Amino acid sequence: QVSVLYFARSAELAGLRCETLSVPQEITTLQLWEEIVKVHPRLALIRDQVILAVRQEYVLLGDQLLVLQPGDEVAIIPPISGG
Amino acid sequence: MEESEDVPKDFIKLKSEKLCVDEVSELVVSPCCGAVSLFIGTTRNNFEGKKVIHLEYEAYIPMAETEIKKICRDVRQKWPSVKHIAVHHRLGVVPITEASVIIAVSSPHRAESLEAVMYCINTLKASVPIWKKEIYEDEYSWKENKECFWANSEK
Repeated sequence: QVSVLYFARSAELAGLRCETLSVPQEITTLQLWEEIVKVHPRLALIRDQVILAVRQEYVLLGDQLLVLQPGDEVAIIPPISGG
Repeated sequence: MEESEDVPKDFIKLKSEKLCVDEVSELVVSPCCGAVSLFIGTTRNNFEGKKVIHLEYEAYIPMAETEIKKICRDVRQKWPSVKHIAVHHRLGVVPITEASVIIAVSSPHRAESLEAVMYCINTLKASVPIWKKEIYEDEYSWKENKECFWANSEK
């Protein structure tokens, strides 16, 4: 079970800011994204412009294998615009 | 007492209250430094012909603070003479002409602090998880920094 955090456009598309999701402990970043899109299909709209932050480290959507622990934070990161 | 007062420090703050240039500047002042360089990012009132009413910022706060700390660490590696670094970023609603971000760096001589400030703002725009929404009269838009490598710049 991981905590998923939604920001900016992704929070608007998902309709919420955070929730707990159950996902396999070993999962690629792309598979993790797809699990999240299953719950919030509208997120597919931003598929090409989004990365994730797992335990506060950025990861691209792809084949990278993650080993998740219960309570890990996964954040959806649309293109940033600080400053 | 003298030694512990002047250890190089990073002052990082994300807050929704109005930012204060004097406050940020005073944080980095140091007796050994002849230069304090500042950058202030302020809210413009227009974008592509549209009138901007105000900006709204949100952040992944714990990670934003960590990323800003990484920037400070990089600054100290590149410019070892840099003394103090302060980065204050506003969250929530920022009215036109008010500051969204203030960066201040002190160093003994001016070259290092000027270069370090530029590096800080450029890297912040590329790596810190903060998002800006521009509110126009009839609509709004989530902005995307061109420094952000995962933004789709062709639309």
